[in-house]
Amino acid sequence: MNPFWSNIFRGSGYEDTLAYFLSTVPVFSKLKKRELNFLETIVHVRNYQKDEVIFEEGDIGSGMYAIRSGQVVIYTRDEHDRETEETVLESGDFFGEVALTASRPRIASARTTEQTVLVGLFRSDMLEAVRKHPSGAANILLGLTRVISDRLHHSQMLIHELKRQQTGSDREHNQP
Amino acid sequence: MTDQSGLSRAQVFLLYFVLTAAIASGIAIFSSASTITKMLQTATDGLFLPILLSLIAAFLLDPLVQFFEGEKIGRTGSIFIVYFLLSMLILLLLLSIGSPNWEGMMQALKADFPRYLGRAIEYLNGLLMKAQEHFPFVKDYDLPEKMRQSAETFLGLILIHTPKSAMRIGSLFLLVPLFSFFFLRDSRWLMRGLISLTPNRYFEMVLDIYDHVSWQLTHFIRGRILEALIIGIVVWMGLSLTDIRYAPILGVVAGVTNLVPYIGPIIGMIPGLLIALVDLGMGGQFWWILCVYLLIAQVILDNFILIPILISRVSNLHPLLVILAIVMGGKLYGVLGMIIGVPIVSIINIIILEIRQYRRTFNPHTQIISERNKVT
Repeated sequence: MNPFWSNIFRGSGYEDTLAYFLSTVPVFSKLKKRELNFLETIVHVRNYQKDEVIFEEGDIGSGMYAIRSGQVVIYTRDEHDRETEETVLESGDFFGEVALTASRPRIASARTTEQTVLVGLFRSDMLEAVRKHPSGAANILLGLTRVISDRLHHSQMLIHELKRQQTGSDREHNQP
Repeated sequence: MTDQSGLSRAQVFLLYFVLTAAIASGIAIFSSASTITKMLQTATDGLFLPILLSLIAAFLLDPLVQFFEGEKIGRTGSIFIVYFLLSMLILLLLLSIGSPNWEGMMQALKADFPRYLGRAIEYLNGLLMKAQEHFPFVKDYDLPEKMRQSAETFLGLILIHTPKSAMRIGSLFLLVPLFSFFFLRDSRWLMRGLISLTPNRYFEMVLDIYDHVSWQLTHFIRGRILEALIIGIVVWMGLSLTDIRYAPILGVVAGVTNLVPYIGPIIGMIPGLLIALVDLGMGGQFWWILCVYLLIAQVILDNFILIPILISRVSNLHPLLVILAIVMGGKLYGVLGMIIGVPIVSIINIIILEIRQYRRTFNPHTQIISERNKVT
């Protein structure tokens, strides 16, 4: 398309808005514009410094975070307090989504490695949204369910694969 | 000596100096704080009542607003709908029943008050005479005179304040709907702004606790207001069946004083019984009025029906705390403070209980340690 026209139709700086950012997060990717605008009013934007702890393992989680800019490292501690880095998340990733539906202790810790802007969606706001805007909230929760069930499916496959390898290696051990 | 106490002379001197500086700065902070609070008090003097009333109105109207609010109608729109319906309802009531003649009633009460008081003092005098026959030492105690003095100052207070409060009521009609509109529309946004000030590390916890506390508080406050409303209406209805005058005012008094547990209902009963005694005498109607106050309003309605339904047992206060709250509230804001002191203490109580509950249910460290032991 002609860049002149695309500029007019896109409106000024839509890609800089929070609603656009939210639409790029996989959980919210299927939401309509209206629902994104609604989502924009219930999320909290939080600014973090470098090396700031977002939550610790064992904290009571109350919501999920999406990274708008910056970098977050997810790590766990073993009994000797040694940290094991699980994964590094970049802008556009999200984490902590399990806590959105039920308050459970966090199973890993999260810390920023640079200056970071996080967008948090928390359970109390979600519950209010369910009451006030049921269809929008339902779409958000459906997106969440889709992501979680994808992950469940993936881990199921992984377990299956591991089991198969286990039995294979067992058989090899038994042969000689 | 210095060896035993472990402090050298210089250290003692330093300690002395630090303590003096601390005390001095403490006094300085305290005095400046007291002037600031004084300034705040004068600035917010007339605003306390309208803000309180509009908060109450906002709490009561919030469920209605939520009922209309939805996908199609925004919050502002639904507030307007509620306002419109409410004003229609009030208009309809005024047209069909006609407003109770509040002003005439106030005027009559102003005229009648000294009469009631005089009779009450006479009655008390009679009682005292009888008492003096049996217990001569009471004679030194000039109770009726003291009571007359305090009653007269009280009357003077009412007479001075009534014209002022008439002006105030006019402004209330303007301010309360306006304030409650903004409370209804922007309270969520305001609270979000306040919560977002908390440091990142505690943000989730504060948000969660706020959610719990606000749920409890809304129920508590709404329950209390509804309780006072229902008690007031029932007392009004019950008194209207007799020939007693000022039934609406007595209903209002009973409803408002009912906000204070234990002591409130008794205080709210006194004016009604006094008027009944003076105007109607010790007849069947007096006993019916006593019955309305005690049995119907307090025992049956309040204890058996309203409190179990509207107010959870969680918010029960210790009687000692109730008395302290009344005394302190009275010191701060006079009669109004006495009435709202107890609800405010209950609110603080609920907040503390909720935070404690939250910490107990989710004691993070023990949980994570037990879980880790299971895994390893």
